[in-house]
Amino acid sequence: MSFVAAQILNGIATGMLYALMGLGLSLITGILNIPNFAHGALFAIGAYFLVSSALIIGNFWVALLVAPIGVAILGLVIEYAGIRRLYAAGHDYQLLFTFGLALILSESIILIWGPVGSSYLPPEILRGGADLGFTMYPKYRLFVMVAAGLLVFATWLFLEKTRYGAIMRAGIENKEMVSLLGIDIKMLFTVAFALGAYLAGIAGALTAPIRGLNPGMGPDMLGIAFVVVALGGLGNLLGAIAAGLIIGVAQALVAAYWTEASTVVIYAVMAVILLVRPQGLFGIR
Amino acid sequence: MSKLSRRDVLKAGAAAATLGFPAIIRAQSKEIVILGLWDQTGAFADVGPINDRGMKMALEERNMQILGRPIKYITRDGATQAGTSTRRTEEAVDGDGAKFVIGPWSSGVALAVSEVAKRKKVLHLFSGGTEDISGARCHRYSFQWAASPYTAAKTVVDSFMKANPKAKRWHLLVADYAFGWSVEKYIKEVGKAHGLEFVGADRHPLGEREFSNYVQKAAANKPDAVAMINFGGDAVAGAREIFNFGLTPKVPLIMTWSSGVEELVQLSPEIRQNCWVGSNFYYTADTPGAKAFVKSYQAKFGNPPGYAPSASYSMTRLLLAGFDKAKSAEVQDVIKALEGIEVNDIVGRMRMDAATHQNIRPYFFMRCKQKAAMKHETDFADIIATGDAPLPKEYGACKDIGGF
Amino acid sequence: MKKPIILILAAVLLLPFLVRPAIASEIWLFAIFGLGANLLLGYTGLLSFGQATFFGSAAYIAGWMMKVHGINAFLALAAGVGVGAASAAVVGYLCVQRSGLYFIMLTFALNQLFYFTAYQWTSITGGEDGMPGVPRPVLLGIDFKDPLVYYAFVSLLFLISLYLMRRIVESPLGKILQAIRENEVRAEAVGYDVPRFKLLAFVIGGAFSGLAGVLYAMLFGIVPLESIGFVFSGNVIFATLIGGSGSLYGPVIGSFVFIWLSESMSTVWARWPLLLGVAFVLVVMFLRGGVVEAWTRFWSWRSSKQRT
Repeated sequence: MSFVAAQILNGIATGMLYALMGLGLSLITGILNIPNFAHGALFAIGAYFLVSSALIIGNFWVALLVAPIGVAILGLVIEYAGIRRLYAAGHDYQLLFTFGLALILSESIILIWGPVGSSYLPPEILRGGADLGFTMYPKYRLFVMVAAGLLVFATWLFLEKTRYGAIMRAGIENKEMVSLLGIDIKMLFTVAFALGAYLAGIAGALTAPIRGLNPGMGPDMLGIAFVVVALGGLGNLLGAIAAGLIIGVAQALVAAYWTEASTVVIYAVMAVILLVRPQGLFGIR
Repeated sequence: MSKLSRRDVLKAGAAAATLGFPAIIRAQSKEIVILGLWDQTGAFADVGPINDRGMKMALEERNMQILGRPIKYITRDGATQAGTSTRRTEEAVDGDGAKFVIGPWSSGVALAVSEVAKRKKVLHLFSGGTEDISGARCHRYSFQWAASPYTAAKTVVDSFMKANPKAKRWHLLVADYAFGWSVEKYIKEVGKAHGLEFVGADRHPLGEREFSNYVQKAAANKPDAVAMINFGGDAVAGAREIFNFGLTPKVPLIMTWSSGVEELVQLSPEIRQNCWVGSNFYYTADTPGAKAFVKSYQAKFGNPPGYAPSASYSMTRLLLAGFDKAKSAEVQDVIKALEGIEVNDIVGRMRMDAATHQNIRPYFFMRCKQKAAMKHETDFADIIATGDAPLPKEYGACKDIGGF
Repeated sequence: MKKPIILILAAVLLLPFLVRPAIASEIWLFAIFGLGANLLLGYTGLLSFGQATFFGSAAYIAGWMMKVHGINAFLALAAGVGVGAASAAVVGYLCVQRSGLYFIMLTFALNQLFYFTAYQWTSITGGEDGMPGVPRPVLLGIDFKDPLVYYAFVSLLFLISLYLMRRIVESPLGKILQAIRENEVRAEAVGYDVPRFKLLAFVIGGAFSGLAGVLYAMLFGIVPLESIGFVFSGNVIFATLIGGSGSLYGPVIGSFVFIWLSESMSTVWARWPLLLGVAFVLVVMFLRGGVVEAWTRFWSWRSSKQRT
């Protein structure tokens, strides 16, 4: 029994990261109405930024603060210089823009940091395992679980309790209404994209000590993020959080009992949900 | 970092032109064209450039000449994909007149390229994790430089047990493809003699990055040792996770078929503690060939060579030895010369088995060093043993190497 | 529009003298793939991110039939077209029920599903290693092993495909698809069964993709895993858009540009996909009609200069 409990704990930890990714992507998808194909690349850049800034600044915690902001700024630039310019051309071209951008970003990573992967150890106090009774669990992963959870909660608070958050949620529901109310819709898009990028960036930054750096880490994560968003319902933020956790736990349990099937199952689930219940598990039609 | 220099622009023009001219006009009959199929993009993008180094070094030792004829060395990016690699190999053979192919790095892709070699009747040398090139898919034109997985398994198990005689309970983490399964089979076979108990064996898909679930399973079995049978990024990700979960350094981790330097450099000294590594080559090998090679590589590039450049260097030298013995540059003559050839090389004594085209040669087993014991940045491990037991005949799947 | 046809015929005749027949064959078969993709992308306005599903499925199944059952070339082509159309019918049926974002993500998810199934089903597909040993069967006594003979075969099929596609887009069906692209709601209001026509576009596009797939398998003698993967789906989108999705000939030009670039640039700069990405982004942002638009703009600028 403790084995299953340990697997579930692990699933929740990875699920929290998936939730962060899904939340950011769902926000962008909901407000800008495009699946952001560059979301995985932003995740990867978050990881690379973390390691580089940690090496320059010399402090992991400061780097953890700084790196995602860098990704958010990148997101701002992308939205302002690229996606916004394509507003008149339509959603398809905005989507295609992110698609081409994904390629540019992943090649740029190799250009700047080289093709070889590397490891990055978590800070001293978070190294090693904690004895939880039923299992030994890495301290850093516990930290990630808590940190991601807090971030998700903070994002939720922002969206639920602040005025601008309410505007964003309204923007997902009904854009025309929002702009009729005199709110700058263009600014809304930019903020949404930057916030989504920030969430991808911090997910990447948190992941770096677990998975290390690797130029291919972007595309790997993009697929999962899409599944999370589909499962949770496009634009459904609570849904994305729940979906991330469900997929994390499901992956952990499937890996425990039927390793070969893991990836096929994930995409089969995504397809089925999009077909049978496109509003996701938690959405209302 | 890569920059586009004027030379690169000229190369682009030349490439565009070569794309344009049929072989008839361009190929000079005196030249011997050798293709190095080294990946610059894709999963093995980091290995291609260093493969190229090793091969170039071997060719430059002979001043780019053999049998009094100039050698033309060309490289192509196989993109670590079967389609791209076979296509570019065919083009090199048809358009550039390449008759000798070394590479690629990925074993799956190598099988596809081996088919091209058979079809186009060109000599193909390869180093990597597949039994089939000298086994079920053997044919006259391909040769396997890497040690047989049986040799690897026996060397690893025997040497590890010698150093850790009490570690009887093993958990295996195996990459889910044919090579992984072969090594797993041999480890279990050899393990019988040591009375090993395999408390668990999990297969993970190639390219897996989320190892936490497998590691937790491994930990739950409370093994005396964890043995990984995987390669490259998978091995690095696995080793890292095994450390994160606190299995190492308490429980030893065996990396059965490692590239050595290329993987170890991606880990940190802390992660490498209590790691035991089996590899086809490690740069502290105590042979005259290795010492000379390592010295000149280090002088040229500032750090010791990993497995990739060493393998390409050794394969190229083997090919050149074939030319010497055959006294001819005809593909079939060189093949016949390589069959049964014995050379002293960077790994030690190598003999190419004529019946299976499998290289009989030592496999290395290392123990990783503690951080304090590392004398320099790349001083990852010490070689503690070598083994060269060949694959027993009853396991051999190559029944008939065939004709030309 | 006589001029483009003449240029294309000239290209077909001259190409094997300028590049190796194998590359030339690949350019034309990729152009067939692009024509199929563009029926959806350019003419119907459906951003399908899973075209490799049909290409790859046809390659695997037809390839397997040639390898294991030794069918002849004609049957192989029929199998390729058939599998392409059938897989597109299945995928299309599922996808046309959704629109916009959901449609796009569904094509992506189904492509991934097919990909990972091919990846796991190693006994048939060989998984990561691909399915080698695909022969080039004989047709009417002609042996296709010679690269030039095979090139003639492929380019002939390309010309036929181009002709067929032109007939399709100029037919009432083509007009309806374009009407759907322009304004789906209105097309529905006017009385067209929009989902059915979208499905038809899928199936026809899938048939073309399937033909390209089986030709690919025969060209390289191997069906690699990437032929059913998302990267391949992305490649045809890159190529088609850069060539110009608004024109019949766009995919043809795009195929040229893409394949020629990837062959010549890969020996010069390993990071050349960066240039591809940049070119794509520039096209998306500033030159949505692709090379075709640049070309027509250039000529009209030229002729306006001459007039003054």
